[in-house]
Amino acid sequence: MDVQVIFFGSITDITMVDSVLLNNCTDLDSMVNDLIERYPSLANKKYFIAVNQKMVHENIKLKMGDTVALMPPFSGG
Amino acid sequence: MSNKKSNSIFISGPIAAQKIADDIQKHSSKVSIGAHSIFLGQVRADEIDNKKVTAIEYTAYEDMAMEKMAVIRESFFAKYALTCMHIYHSLGRVAVGEICLFVFTSSVHRRDAIDACNEMVETIKKELPIWGKEICEDNSTVWKQNN
Repeated sequence: MDVQVIFFGSITDITMVDSVLLNNCTDLDSMVNDLIERYPSLANKKYFIAVNQKMVHENIKLKMGDTVALMPPFSGG
Repeated sequence: MSNKKSNSIFISGPIAAQKIADDIQKHSSKVSIGAHSIFLGQVRADEIDNKKVTAIEYTAYEDMAMEKMAVIRESFFAKYALTCMHIYHSLGRVAVGEICLFVFTSSVHRRDAIDACNEMVETIKKELPIWGKEICEDNSTVWKQNN
């Protein structure tokens, strides 16, 4: 069960890559735990999560092919 | 102007003053318009720890930004009596003194154009997934924060 996770802004300073493929994450919480295991500094980082381009504020189930984005606070303009 | 592809708000690099002039000129045939309001964001030479910022490098989650912009756009046309609205934001490197954001609203009477333009600038900063990285003269970088 592959989920693509994409990183933006200052998050990429931690991950050093723009995206990773994760398997075996059934929901957002388990996915975040996986990511923190890989990138411990993520634990104290502020970010928003979007699943398939929609902002998500609670734990939801993930399915194969989903794209999850980790986005620090926006700073356009 | 009506085809979907031309709806991207992103421009690679700075927004040229000539583009702004050309866009104003293009509206001369829309004679019901009585007012334009324009906001231009310019990259400022901030100082961070005694180092001067020389440029900002912008990145975005483009697909999500475009989807969000379509929704925002619709809500603005519902809220304000606009004849048209054009928005451009830079991606990539924009040097200090160059233009990185261009918001252009037009209406029959001034109030709608002015209010929509002001609100759109705030909305872009708050709601679009865009990030700016300030690049200093010694090539060190600091992620920009919006107030």
